[in-house]
Amino acid sequence: MKMRVMFLAGMLLVSPVQAADFGGLLRGVLNGGMQIGPQQETPQDDNGDAVGNLIGALLSGNTSPEQERLIGQRIAGNLLGAAPLVNDAALQRYVNRVGRWVASTSERPDLPWRFGVIESEDINAFAAPGGYVFVTKGLYKRLQNEAELAGVLGHEIGHVIRQHHLKLLQQSQMVAAVGGLLGQRLGNKNQLVQNLIGNGAEIVARSLDKDAEYEADRIGMVLSARAGYDPYALPAVLQEIGHVPAQDSRMALLYKTHPHPEDRLARLGEAAEAAEAGLPEGNLVAMRFYRLK
Amino acid sequence: MKRLHIGLAAWLWLMAMPVWAAPGVMLRDDTLRSAPATTAPAVVSVAKGQAVEVLGRQGGWSRIQAQGKTGWVRLLSVRGGAVAQTDVGGELKGVLALGATRRDPGKVVAVAGVRGLSEEELKQAHYDARQLDRLEGYAVSLVEASRFAADAGLTRREVAYLPLPQAASGGGESWGGSQP
Repeated sequence: MKMRVMFLAGMLLVSPVQAADFGGLLRGVLNGGMQIGPQQETPQDDNGDAVGNLIGALLSGNTSPEQERLIGQRIAGNLLGAAPLVNDAALQRYVNRVGRWVASTSERPDLPWRFGVIESEDINAFAAPGGYVFVTKGLYKRLQNEAELAGVLGHEIGHVIRQHHLKLLQQSQMVAAVGGLLGQRLGNKNQLVQNLIGNGAEIVARSLDKDAEYEADRIGMVLSARAGYDPYALPAVLQEIGHVPAQDSRMALLYKTHPHPEDRLARLGEAAEAAEAGLPEGNLVAMRFYRLK
Repeated sequence: MKRLHIGLAAWLWLMAMPVWAAPGVMLRDDTLRSAPATTAPAVVSVAKGQAVEVLGRQGGWSRIQAQGKTGWVRLLSVRGGAVAQTDVGGELKGVLALGATRRDPGKVVAVAGVRGLSEEELKQAHYDARQLDRLEGYAVSLVEASRFAADAGLTRREVAYLPLPQAASGGGESWGGSQP
């Protein structure tokens, strides 16, 4: 909380001309709130511990919510650097209301969930550790009702609550490489996180295990059902995007990182069939669905 | 928020009921129903593997023609209905392989004037603290989200996680296939 207040206070002091230095400013704030301006490379003892802890936590699979947040924040900030938020406050509030409600039905209701629609015609959605979820404008425009939005957000919430991206990092050779570098020089925390996640927001372009995607699909249906929506709205979205020709460039990244929609539908069908109690019917909530102009 | 008017309602209805028909195949036994609801009267039973015509979709339901009769089955019960490439009655793998070859990067069709999210653009992305701050500003509390849900008549329900299907195999364990 203290960190955030200081960060916001810092924002007020910085003019748009200095915007390029925000990264440095944030690093300073996260380093202990003492540094304003260009990053100083002087290692601090407590900082070194935090860095070491982060590596250890990742390797052992025991990251704290704060560490998850630190990693997710870096990824989210980089992703927003590639594709900013759609400049429509009503849309963003709407998506946060729906997303927060769906996330509250998961086993991690208290994460600081943040949802956003980003400025891209690509058809895709992204998650980052600690509670960050993004949907592209291209995908949002294809949605027909609130239940479909809930299903898409539910899939991404599934990645967050099962820590799929953290596991990807854990398995990555980069953790070992960065750990090795520690002996030579202690970087600051944000630099370490950036090293961990690779270049920019590259990590969201990396493929998760196919089983992680199928698992997120199952979670998406279940969380939708828990939240009162029609759980079959997520499969409806999958069928809809399956209609987009695979060679369409807007689908390139989705096809690179996800199993084919037909395959996902087949797996979801098996899972739904295997459910003892079945999935309840639910609302589509089409009337108030926020449509983009 | 009240953006809906009669014209849009009609358009929505048309969108939900496309006029195309495409070949499909039943993935499992199901009951053809007269309306898109589990409570609707049964018309006829359709068996796994049976070839059908997919006429449209509404919510999580597909409108199909089977055995000369028209009705609704769960969307997840029928495969296809998308494009002509669907190999009706053919092997699942064959269709998927077809999808894979169509992903040949050399054949990617660029959509003019749209901002993409290519791997390269993501790699070169720079941290944008101002955008992240805007994102924070749109956050809502659980109380607000709950009230918004209640406004639409949404109520919380107990639903267990779906088990990992038995048919699925390979590497699922390392990805937390366990169900809490």
